Amino acid sequence: MTQHVLEADHVSFSYSRKGPKVLNDVDLRIGKGVKTAILGANGAGKSTLFGVLNALKKPDEGRVLYQGEPISYKHRDIIRMRSEVSILFQNPNDMLFKPYVEQDVAYGPENLRLPRDEVERRVDDALFAVGMSEFRKSPTMKLSYGQRKRVTLAGVLAMKPQVLIMDEPTAGLDPQMAYEVMEIAEQLHRTGVTVIMSSHDTDLTYSWADEIHVMQHGRCVYSGAPEPFYSDKAAVYLAGLLPPKTFLMNDALSGLGASTREPFPKTQTQMSAKIAANPGGSFGTLYIHKVDADTDLNELVSEHGLGDIRTGIYGLSARRAQDRSLARVDYMYNGPENCTMNCMAGRDALLLCDPLMVDSARNSADFINASGYGDIRVEILN
Amino acid sequence: MSEQLEMDELAYSSRMLDWAPLGKLLLVMALLIVGLCTDSIVVPLITFTIGIILMAYSTNMRIPTILALGIAEAIVIMVIGSGMISIMGNESEPALWDGQLLWFKVHMTVTSFNKAWLIFFRAVAGVTLMLSFASSTPIPHLAQSLRSLRCPKELVELIVLIYRYAFLLLERFLVMLDAAQCRLGYNGPMTAIKSYGGAMAGTFIFSMELAEKSEASLACRNYQGYLPIYRLPRSMSWKWVVFTFALAAVLLYIGWETVGLIDMEHIFAPYFGW
Amino acid sequence: MSNIFEMRDVSFRHHPGTPTVLDHFDLEIEEGSRSAILGANGAGKTTMFYTLTGVYKPVEGEVLFRGEPLEYTREGLTRVRSDVSVVLQNPDEQMFCSLVEEDVAFGPLNLGIDRDEIEVRIDKALRDVRMSEFRTRPLQQLSGGQRKRVAIAGALAVDPKVLIMDEPTAGLDPQASMEVMELAEKLHLRGVTVLISTHDVDLAYGWADTVNVIRNGRKVFSGTSEEFYGNNEDVHLCGLLSPSTFNMNREISSLRGIPEQPCPRNVCSFLAKFGKGSHRPGRVFCVPYSEGDISSAYEEATRDAGDSARIGVYGSDARFALGGRKVDFYFDGIDSCFTEAVLGRDTVLFYDEIFGSTIREQAETLKAFGSDVVMEVVQ
Repeated sequence: MTQHVLEADHVSFSYSRKGPKVLNDVDLRIGKGVKTAILGANGAGKSTLFGVLNALKKPDEGRVLYQGEPISYKHRDIIRMRSEVSILFQNPNDMLFKPYVEQDVAYGPENLRLPRDEVERRVDDALFAVGMSEFRKSPTMKLSYGQRKRVTLAGVLAMKPQVLIMDEPTAGLDPQMAYEVMEIAEQLHRTGVTVIMSSHDTDLTYSWADEIHVMQHGRCVYSGAPEPFYSDKAAVYLAGLLPPKTFLMNDALSGLGASTREPFPKTQTQMSAKIAANPGGSFGTLYIHKVDADTDLNELVSEHGLGDIRTGIYGLSARRAQDRSLARVDYMYNGPENCTMNCMAGRDALLLCDPLMVDSARNSADFINASGYGDIRVEILN
Repeated sequence: MSEQLEMDELAYSSRMLDWAPLGKLLLVMALLIVGLCTDSIVVPLITFTIGIILMAYSTNMRIPTILALGIAEAIVIMVIGSGMISIMGNESEPALWDGQLLWFKVHMTVTSFNKAWLIFFRAVAGVTLMLSFASSTPIPHLAQSLRSLRCPKELVELIVLIYRYAFLLLERFLVMLDAAQCRLGYNGPMTAIKSYGGAMAGTFIFSMELAEKSEASLACRNYQGYLPIYRLPRSMSWKWVVFTFALAAVLLYIGWETVGLIDMEHIFAPYFGW
Repeated sequence: MSNIFEMRDVSFRHHPGTPTVLDHFDLEIEEGSRSAILGANGAGKTTMFYTLTGVYKPVEGEVLFRGEPLEYTREGLTRVRSDVSVVLQNPDEQMFCSLVEEDVAFGPLNLGIDRDEIEVRIDKALRDVRMSEFRTRPLQQLSGGQRKRVAIAGALAVDPKVLIMDEPTAGLDPQASMEVMELAEKLHLRGVTVLISTHDVDLAYGWADTVNVIRNGRKVFSGTSEEFYGNNEDVHLCGLLSPSTFNMNREISSLRGIPEQPCPRNVCSFLAKFGKGSHRPGRVFCVPYSEGDISSAYEEATRDAGDSARIGVYGSDARFALGGRKVDFYFDGIDSCFTEAVLGRDTVLFYDEIFGSTIREQAETLKAFGSDVVMEVVQ
């Protein structure tokens, strides 16, 4: 049986007594360690739901459970819960309380009453994780929107939450930053954090989320795997959403009789592999090299004699190592996907990868092999 | 969400929205002044009734909690205030009640008792009237009437812009307080104060940034130095003036005739054995 | 076609001594074109727009509007701004009135247009963004998405020849984004030059004729999308990633050993290119809508097409007219209906009359990909 971290048990909520119900009998459960996406159009109640889940708002009806226990709304219990459940707000300007970056990132840990050196360490780590180390002493006012977003993400990471709720984490970000945020979300998932994100970008969440909850006019109209929901076109339109492009294309192709509907490709690479499936062809090997933060990448690449093949990078420690050794990397973004694609085309590829992220990194290759669209050898190097 | 938003929403949905704002203002002011001009309790009772009727009409017979609360709050404050007045009568007059209440020396006289009631009714009537005006006239309408009163243009523009930005800043401030909660900003009183400070500073920075950006976007929309109004408000007709003065005169007359008609001391005497 | 806007070697900084936000920037915007301005956060897109409309005066170089250098005088700027409207990313930054109609009237009033004309324009602009019933509501009671629509209505009320939209779909849900893009297409067909800044590469790929790419205040590319995305390194340096449709076309073409060109930009042409199979394409029954009751047209078209035919809609008027009737593709109707047709199924497509040429264009494109979809226009 799956354990639930957060549960909304028939929750209703409205801002004023006679006002409309912003949440109407919402009943959903979020499993521990399950990558969860809350989908819905603007004004469907996603942000309000997060407020209720984090005890910012008390439901008019129903209860909210954390780790199986109803929230008591007593100051001490709420403090304890919030030290474990964090929200990343959509607009970074809402979360900047301090004039300087390091002060702001330290705000959460300081409120946790942590010792000074622990706070320092957490600020360091968090700023690195979002790639903002060099801005440590900068005034927050001088930062751009994207940089502010990173700082607020660092501020939340520094609290080391067990559950991280991200409200529209990629809204307003350029594609590379949006990708980085998704990679951080994946990394957090691999370190055991339950990550919940709200979005109306179905393309983006489709490849990431295991489970989706769909909000529509304050109601939760669907909970479960994404595919059954997207198959019901009318429901998708009613919820104010559009089906992900990958899903649409796969659906259409299977309609043509060109392929079977399942397995569902979730990423661009999986989709391409499915369309151009060529089981008899020749395939490259995907070398996934586990990399620690202090590995010298140049040395490592030459040691294995892999210098002349395409190289991608994936995960936090790999990025830190790359940052230090300034090694040549072909794919700074979408590393696993691009490397897998190379293997499909018969070329070997090397992915420098955070040890925690290996399973995520080989996901597309495994999908292709298991579905019989190709035969990519995956070799994990230590 | 907050009282400010609720009042605004009320004003825009009021059935009195279309009435000339200046007319409403004139009526309310006249009633307030008349109430102060007479010593009769009857007049504040009448103006209080007018206030309640206006409010009931404006909200379509459903006086919302926020207004009822406003009046109730006024009543509570005024009970305390008039209570204080009533127990501090002139020492030279005979006392209805003499003694000690907590650390107050009580000397209640007939005059002080009646005066306290008069002030109480005046105050409650005043609050009710002003609430009925506030709940039926959005700030931009008020600004309109100020414009037609030849108030300096800059001042009126400022009022309108403050009004517009007050909501934006309020929205921001409330969200920031939520964000502070999420980051344990209320873990202890000192932290709470710091978080409030942070939210204030954040809102302030936001207002600066907004102002800076607005300057450019105003230029984009070909701003010429003043904020034009599309739908000019209904101007006050002579009927308003005539009606208001007639009503004021009638009330003044009634006040004149009814001084001492209702003697609160008489009404209460049997219960207190005065 | 002539250029409606031109920037020649323009540099701009906010104050002397601060870093340049635009750095020797050259730009040409053709009249009546659909142009996308791509760039990461902070690349200088918004500053460039403000420089185009004369809000910022370049420290070097010149901006030309219809071939004439901008005059930074009240009359000169009024002339530009009566033809050019800007919609900002955050609607709150560009609204100064308390009521919806007041805000829509703000621009025209500033241009000194007479009140009867403004009345007509408010009506039309609010109808275009489907906010008519909110006309006398105060702005603070609207949601973010609704405020955005009002901001767009405010821009339309100026009756612009050039519409500049900064991140028009940021923060909007997918269906609202679709509506905004439909509106952009409608204006394009009415002859308006539409300029959109965005970092949503998928969106820009499906829509723009030309893309201009900005990086650190410099223009690094100007041309067709495919030329730009073809060079991976440049794309990465600019903080962007290539659109998924483009990538997949590239990957599959190379795996299958077929030419990359022509490049499909939307789902239906993608399927036309890669959906193997030899069956006959389906028919698209096209029903243009201008005004009045749609029921008889609806009955007739759905009868002709048969029960199994899916129904799509494109354009706000047709969508509104269809009301509660059964529709399968409420948004993105053109792409969805043609996708069905490529798959060999019949569909009915209701659309605002003005989109006729867009639809013919789509059918032509599909021919180039080898799918001969039959279009039957029902009158």
